[in-house]
Amino acid sequence: MSDPIVEQSAPAPGLGREAVLALSERRAEPAWMRERRLEAWSLYEAMPLPDPNADAWRRTDISGLQLDEVRPILDGQTRGGGEAWPRWVQEALAGAGERRGGMLVQRDGRTVHHAVDEAVRGQGVLFLDTHAALSQVPDLVREHFMAVVRPDELKFRALHAALWDGGTFLYVPPRVEVTLPLLSATWIDTSGAGLFPHTLVVADEGSKVTLIDLFGSDPMARQTVVSNATELILRDGAQVRYVAFQDWGPGVWEFGIIRAHLARDATLHSLVVAFGGSLVKTDIESLLRGSGGRSEMLGLYFGDETQHFDFHTLQEHFAPHTQSDLLYKGAVKDRARSVFAGLIRVHQGAQKTNAFQSNRNLILNAGAKAVSDPKLEIMANDLRCTHGSATSRLNDEHLFYLMSRGLRRQQAVQMVVDGFFAEVLDRVPLADLRVQMQQEIARKLEEM
Amino acid sequence: MATTSPLGIDFDHYKWGFHDPEDKYVFKARKGLDAEVINQLSHMKGEPDWMRAYRLHAYEHYRQRPTPKWGANLDQIDFEDIYYYLKPTEGKGRTWEDVPEDIKRTFDRLGIPEAEKKFLAGVGAQYESESVYHNLKEEWEKLGVIFLDTDSALREHPDLLREYFGTVVPPEDNKIAALNSAVWSGGSFVYVPEGVHVDIPLQAYFRINAEKAGQFERTMIICEPGSYVHYVEGCSAPTYMADSLHSAVVEIIVKEGARCRYTTIQNWSTNTYNLVTKRAVAYRDATMEWIDGNIGSKITMKDPSVFMVEPGAKAEILSVAFAGKGQHQDPGGKVIHAAPHTQSSVVSKSISKDGGRAGYRGLVKIYPGAHGSKCAVRCDALILDDQSRSDTYPTMEIEEEDVQITHEATVSKVSDEQLFYLMARGIKADEAMGMIVRGFIEPIIKELPLEYAVELNRMIALEMEGSVG
Repeated sequence: MSDPIVEQSAPAPGLGREAVLALSERRAEPAWMRERRLEAWSLYEAMPLPDPNADAWRRTDISGLQLDEVRPILDGQTRGGGEAWPRWVQEALAGAGERRGGMLVQRDGRTVHHAVDEAVRGQGVLFLDTHAALSQVPDLVREHFMAVVRPDELKFRALHAALWDGGTFLYVPPRVEVTLPLLSATWIDTSGAGLFPHTLVVADEGSKVTLIDLFGSDPMARQTVVSNATELILRDGAQVRYVAFQDWGPGVWEFGIIRAHLARDATLHSLVVAFGGSLVKTDIESLLRGSGGRSEMLGLYFGDETQHFDFHTLQEHFAPHTQSDLLYKGAVKDRARSVFAGLIRVHQGAQKTNAFQSNRNLILNAGAKAVSDPKLEIMANDLRCTHGSATSRLNDEHLFYLMSRGLRRQQAVQMVVDGFFAEVLDRVPLADLRVQMQQEIARKLEEM
Repeated sequence: MATTSPLGIDFDHYKWGFHDPEDKYVFKARKGLDAEVINQLSHMKGEPDWMRAYRLHAYEHYRQRPTPKWGANLDQIDFEDIYYYLKPTEGKGRTWEDVPEDIKRTFDRLGIPEAEKKFLAGVGAQYESESVYHNLKEEWEKLGVIFLDTDSALREHPDLLREYFGTVVPPEDNKIAALNSAVWSGGSFVYVPEGVHVDIPLQAYFRINAEKAGQFERTMIICEPGSYVHYVEGCSAPTYMADSLHSAVVEIIVKEGARCRYTTIQNWSTNTYNLVTKRAVAYRDATMEWIDGNIGSKITMKDPSVFMVEPGAKAEILSVAFAGKGQHQDPGGKVIHAAPHTQSSVVSKSISKDGGRAGYRGLVKIYPGAHGSKCAVRCDALILDDQSRSDTYPTMEIEEEDVQITHEATVSKVSDEQLFYLMARGIKADEAMGMIVRGFIEPIIKELPLEYAVELNRMIALEMEGSVG
């Protein structure tokens, strides 16, 4: 299933209409997709960059963004050599770790490994890269592709719609339960590239599935721009667990969105984990459109050095008897910055709603900064809605207590940070992932 | 029909919606605003040149600054269709008898002189642009306390005014503050000398009478080290077809170890735009307390602020908002921690009903170096029916790691269990609802002077009538 890895490549010149056409050509796309790309490109050209004073952007300075320098990866060429793979991909490729229902690995938007468990395939589950889905099940893709995330919302969404490349497509038929998690890994090799992966999940009525989306790269010498989009469509009674885990190298600027539509009695568990990148601005949104829908939204982020993370979350309740429960926990160290801006919006008629939102930040040293900006807009009255946020620093007394028991300072800090994140980790029933997160946290704490 | 209601809060209807004839006004500026109107206003007041220059500078800034786009929608205000200066009478009463008859009648109906006799150290009353009455009990005057309208203060204490005016809220702060700085008239000036405790409240009452009138009072309170004062203000206006604009600027300076409490209960008619900039600076170990009740107005936007600029300063903001039909209450508060070991607490309680929209919009800012600071923000909202709305926007900007910050908010309805419990004890449904709502705002009610607490409770009880079933 995997394409051969081709030799050294430089990114192709410039973003432009030609690049859009060339990309569509290379992927041998149907005319409707080409047209949609071109429309999106016109939108991209017409739309201004976000207003730096707008509420959603005033805490994230993108004046250093050089979109004109970005090069799309047109030929899908990538540097060879498995040694560049992160350990988790290597292990997964070698078959280590937990059993998977399927695995999809992409480098620079090109699929290099694809395997689906026979049993899963037999259930009628479709798990493949988005381009393959476009040629194999065009109607299914056409029906749902960018129906949840619209190109005209934001310049970065238009850019994504024009130049989307790579990503994961997952369809689970009605009442099918996929017991083993599906794993998708996306890696960028080309420094200075623009990468726009598109993940589309359609969980049909009463189905159940877990998808883990991993993103990563080497350290990038030049600014590398990712504008990814994930659309999650949960039909009546569907249950989806979706994990987005990113560990970009320095030099990567991400402008991503994960948006879910939940129909009646659907349940979503989302987890967003962020460790890497120079600047990361991700929107995570759950739209509860059918009664009885439930959305659990977990987040874990840890910034160090000069990293800047910005998460905007939305819990939007359109229907009665819906529930959302958000917990985002973040630590910042060195000169890192984190922003959490969470909005709960309950529309008129969405009675008997429960909406909870909690953000906790741990500041590990002077110079690091965490911003927490929770908001409520409530237009129904028969509901229960709370939000809370707290920002604290390492407590000297706790450290002293642990050190008086013979722990080194480093170990004591590690214990406090582990304890801080445990509340999120304990709610993730994926053992491998928990270990990965703990390792990454430990690595970030090494220089303290 | 004198009433003892200190707030003029009414219950079934907005009782203060009446208005007096305007034909006796001494001066009414033409509608709209330009440099000429400002020069004329300043000339009539006989102001020093520096104040006229200050006004013109502020006007330039007002002209250049766009109308704020955030928060409540202000697009419907036609700033050119407003009377910026209305002088209802010559001179000002020092005794109640000196106040012109029809204005006196208005304040009699609002119950101001009654209230003064009973429990106040001093009273000021402002009618349109000008203060019509100011009185301070002799015992406080002897101690050097100053309580004047701001125009008189500019004449009698020019040095104090020049030293402090515009230092807390500069004209460049925001468009609405710039407008006030250009056309301000009236307001209270309070000066409390070192170590003096004015232990009963000073009160000011603000009244808009004419249609399309703007009221731009300017209030300043200076608390010298170790002093204490409690200032209370109430507001009302008639109900017209056209909207009125009330845009005050309040500047407060609380010096070392002093404490200032500022209580507002605004009950503007529901066609008044109430856009207010209120700010205090608190020095070492000083305490500033804002108690802010928003019952009336069409739109209220204000955020009483405290800048804690020296170690040990404290800020407390208690805010109640009640939004009924057609009302948008968008109050909030800002606590700025700019020094170590500063502490603040913000409690907001909002209630929305009959399609009203109420909420909280606040800011907690902690500057680098403000270590050991603590801040707790709590916002609770009750929504009484499915047409109404509640918003909570508690922004926090924390730039210092050694701090403790918490924020909590809840939105809920009156629970059926609570209602059932009370009704099972023989209490009627709407009475029960009123009791629960009063319990909800209890933390703020208990901070009000007794008479105000009684009024607010009665108002809530009557607002709640017919809200069940």
